[in-house]
Amino acid sequence: MQRWVDMSPRQWQEFINQEVCVSARDQHSFTGRVFTVDPVSASVVLVSFGESERPAVTLVLGHAISDVQVLSAGSEQTRSRMRSVFLQTHTPTHTLSADELQRRRESVRRWLQDNRIPVQEDGELLRVAHALTISAPYGPGDCSCANQIILARVQSLLENNPETSGDALTNESTQGSG
Amino acid sequence: MKTPVGVLRLPRGPEPNSRGFDPNSPRFQALCSTSLTSSSSSVDIEEQRLRAEQREHFLRALLLMTDKRVDFQLLEKLRMRGRFGASDIDVLNFQVSDLETPLGVQKEALLRCHDIISCAFEL
Repeated sequence: MQRWVDMSPRQWQEFINQEVCVSARDQHSFTGRVFTVDPVSASVVLVSFGESERPAVTLVLGHAISDVQVLSAGSEQTRSRMRSVFLQTHTPTHTLSADELQRRRESVRRWLQDNRIPVQEDGELLRVAHALTISAPYGPGDCSCANQIILARVQSLLENNPETSGDALTNESTQGSG
Repeated sequence: MKTPVGVLRLPRGPEPNSRGFDPNSPRFQALCSTSLTSSSSSVDIEEQRLRAEQREHFLRALLLMTDKRVDFQLLEKLRMRGRFGASDIDVLNFQVSDLETPLGVQKEALLRCHDIISCAFEL
């Protein structure tokens, strides 16, 4: 087998969602289901669900990995269970009605326009200055933009919207690049 | 092991003579090595998509680890517990707080990822 750190993202993808045993330096070994492999450091994120139902996560650093063996394959069920642990979406949009989403979209659009920010509606999305996109439910955490400065400006503007600042829309805002 | 110890040594700053990026860093190798070595085959769209998705999931896992008490398994059978703060972009250093070391509790510390085998935490 090729060295773990020399593998490509395609090869690492084969291990994702599988139950594996990772052998590492100093005779350490770790078992769990692979959530992801970091392409920068080849580090493996393993999840295991104990009897207490609290997920245990182990991050094994890429440089220490000597071998990874697949113990059993995963299923769609295991994949979605892992995703629910890591990829928690805030304020699920399917709980909001179309009318409520429309109302929020209108409110955010008006607020941005009052602040002289060019914004256009594009179906369910709001396109801001041809650079930033706001998706439902149009909170500060729903902005996506390649420019960190524009992102920060629009996010703080949305946080200060007098109409929605009373709603439970505030979440941890995520920065632009990673 | 409750008495905090003073900081013994500050971490080394960035290289004063370089342009800021290290051609030997894993990130540089991963992203730029293809443009340096191969001229014909470009990294295809699917591989880029996988790379982006895997990296994003990894960053989210790091976010989940933030402010949690983490068990660090280090080289030479050494184990330490600490509160994970942040990682740098190349996953070379971890910033941790209240690190329980054999010498006492270090209020703030920088762990070299090359010395770490694994980090374990509960959600």
